Parts: sequence; structure tokens; C-alpha cells
Amino acid sequence: MDHDQLKDLLPLEALGRLEGEERAAMAAHLAAGCDECEAELRQFREALAAMAMNAAGEASADRIWSRLESRLKFEQAADSGSPAEAMRAPSSARGASAVRRWRFATAVAAAAAVVLAVVAGRYANNAELTRRQSADRIAALIDQNRALAVENENQRRELAIAHLKLSASGRLTQAMLAPDARVIRLGPLAPARGAAGIVAVSEADRQAVLHVAGLPPPPPGKEYELWWIGAKSGPLRAAVFAPGANGSATVASTMPPVGERLLASAITLEPAGGVDKPTGAAYLKGVP
Amino acid sequence: MRAVAAGDREALRILHQRYGNALAVVAERILGERADAEEVAADVLWQVWRQAGTYDRARGSVGAWLMTVVRSRAIDRLRSRNARASAHERAGDEAGAHGAADPVADLHSAERRRAVAAAMATLHENERAVLELAYFSDLSQSIIAERTGLPLGTVKSRIRSALLKLREGLQQFGR
Ligand SMILES: [Zn+2]
Repeated sequence: MDHDQLKDLLPLEALGRLEGEERAAMAAHLAAGCDECEAELRQFREALAAMAMNAAGEASADRIWSRLESRLKFEQAADSGSPAEAMRAPSSARGASAVRRWRFATAVAAAAAVVLAVVAGRYANNAELTRRQSADRIAALIDQNRALAVENENQRRELAIAHLKLSASGRLTQAMLAPDARVIRLGPLAPARGAAGIVAVSEADRQAVLHVAGLPPPPPGKEYELWWIGAKSGPLRAAVFAPGANGSATVASTMPPVGERLLASAITLEPAGGVDKPTGAAYLKGVP
Repeated sequence: MRAVAAGDREALRILHQRYGNALAVVAERILGERADAEEVAADVLWQVWRQAGTYDRARGSVGAWLMTVVRSRAIDRLRSRNARASAHERAGDEAGAHGAADPVADLHSAERRRAVAAAMATLHENERAVLELAYFSDLSQSIIAERTGLPLGTVKSRIRSALLKLREGLQQFGR
């Protein structure tokens, strides 16, 4: 199926209603990166969400809140209770627990590697097992080890997110949770491997907020500068800031350029007070 | 650590305030049952609050992302419920008209609500019905065709034209 045929199917894709061959063809087409279909699909999803959000119904906010409150209470109890309880509670956003689980996952991954080596050695010496069998077993263990490595990576990411979340100000929260909010996640580049950042933009609130964590302290006479990189305009100054002692900062930025496609957002190290065009090394970068 | 937890809790409160009702309404349209719908809404808020870091993947607005999450959660629940109960029970019931009680407050500005309503009003009644059936249910295209007595091709084209009109209307009436 070609682009035009698939484009006609985008409304059904937005509804999650494609089946069989059409569904597979659509997945392949989108995975191959068709910007036009991608953009159109997004518009259809937004339209459906607008319809859904307009649906009338009985208000039940109070009852929902009491459900949430009982979960919060459970968490609080787990927080101050035994480690066993704490492990049982949903804990993705709790820093200490995330660290604990991360360490645990690292230990498990290391242990699995040792087991793998031992098992591989033993199997090689066992004449009764065919080569085929041991190869299968080893492959399974390698898969298992890979899964653990992925989990470990997820935990690490979760930890970074937890850190960002925990240190974010109410203002960032507001911008990020606005109904029309868009978020650009900034990933670390070579000079700052441990850093992470988020830019949240709400057109409705006319607010853009940057939050970063893990940035090294800037040398004397230098500050970090955030840029909007537009397709036509190139880099535009968005904010100038110096992180706190812990390497994190939450700052208001200018809104992204209007009427222009945003290619990326980035943070560079610049002379204090900022400059009009970037001159220094890029520390963080993200694509909308 | 306590102060941090309090800030975190504030985020949950904002999320709940902005989206709680809307999530429950969508879940109820799909599930046809109030208490279940509220639980799904609470689940979604909790999950989203816990994993706020995943929402840029949707690459859409937060609202669209939340609607996607609640719809799929409600459909999952519907499936597991239907898997348990036998099929005879809910043969005729559908995600159709619902007695509109209180309007869902706070989520959209009144202006935005009017814009969406105006966009919806550009749809033919039969387009709106098929679109809502497709959105607020777990029915495949062919089951929708069966239920509505329409040829499959007509179901597809109505969904398509409905969504095109809705999108166009939103562009026209929204700001
Ligand atoms: Zn395409």
C-alpha cells in the first residue's frame, strides 16, 4: 500500500480500528517515518480527544479523589513502615526506593552474568548434552541477561525522572499539566553525561518552563543558555541561567517562535548574560 | 523529603482537578458503569502521576494523551469483564446517547467547549453516531457494520468524513 492509500486510513488508525494487513502496512509506513501521515494522525487524535473531553456526564471528582487519597495513605504508611511494605507499594517516583531498586537490578544483572559464565562452562564439559541444546540454553540466558540490562536501564531512567519530578517547582508542574502542554525532553550530550532536562510549553497559558538537573557548575564568567532552533530562523535565545549547587534549575523561558517549524531545543555554555547566537559547547539537546 | 512529597501530591491534585471528571465520563461511556469508570479514572491519574516522564512519547497534547490512556484502559477492562461474563448480558447496549447531567467543569474553558460543540455540529447525525460508536466502544469495523446495518465500506467512509469534518471544524472554530 502506498502513502495515498494509507493516508485515507489514518482516521481508522487514530481510532485504533485498523485490522490485519492494513494495520501492518500502516505500522510499517509510520515506522519508516512519514512526516505527513504522522502529523495528520496527530491532528486526528487531538480531534478525537477534544470530542471525548466534551462528552457530557455526571461529575464524580470527589469520589475519584477519595480513591486517590486512600492510595496516598497506603503509600505514606508504606513509606514509614517496613522495607517489605515499601517495596510492595508503587514506588516509581520515590527517589530512595528507585535507587534501591536500581542497585538491586544491577546486582541481579551482575549475578546473571556470573551464572551465565558458570552454566556455559559446565555445559561445555557435559558430554551428554548436545551442542544444540546448550546453545539454546545459553541463548535463553543471554536473552534473560539482556532483559535485565534493559530493566536496569529503565530503572536508571526512572531515577532521573524521579529526580526531575521531585525537584520541579509548582510552576513547571502547572505548565506541564496544562491540557495543551507539549513537552520536549532534553538529552545529555558529551560534556554532561549525567544531565537531563525538560521544556514544557503551554500555548494556552502562554508559558514555557525549563527544568534541568545534573548540570556541572559553569566556570566563572559563564552561564548556560537555552535555545529554540527554528527551521528558518536558526537558534533563538530562550533563557539564560546558572544552575544551583545541586546542578538543577527551573526557569521561565520565552515561547518558541510562532509560525515556524521548531527543529530542536538545546542548551549551550556561553559568556555570562548570554549571547545572540550560540558559540559554546552544547550540553543538552532535544527534538520536539 | 516530606516537603518534596507534598509538592508531588500537589501535582496529583492538579491532575485530578483538571482531568478527573473527563476521564470518568469517557470511561463510563465505554464501560456503561459508574463505579468501574471512577476506578479506571483513578487508575489513570495514578499511573500518569507516577510515570509523568512517559508522556512526551505520545507527542501530542497532555489532554490527547490522557484520553488515549483512559480509552485503552477502559477497553481493557471491558474485555476482561466480558471474558468473565457470558455474552448474552450486554447484547443490545451501546455507547449511544447518555442523559447529560452536569457539564464537566474546569477542563475546557467555556469557549473551547463551544468550539468543539460547534465542530461536532457540522457532522451529519449518522456520521456522529458512527464516530462515537467507534470511539466509545471496543467494536471492530465489521461489528459496527453489523450493528448499524450499514455496509462495511460505508462505515469506513462515515468515520473518515466525520473525523475530517471534526478536525476542520476545530481549526475553524478553535481560535
Ligand atoms: Zn504517509
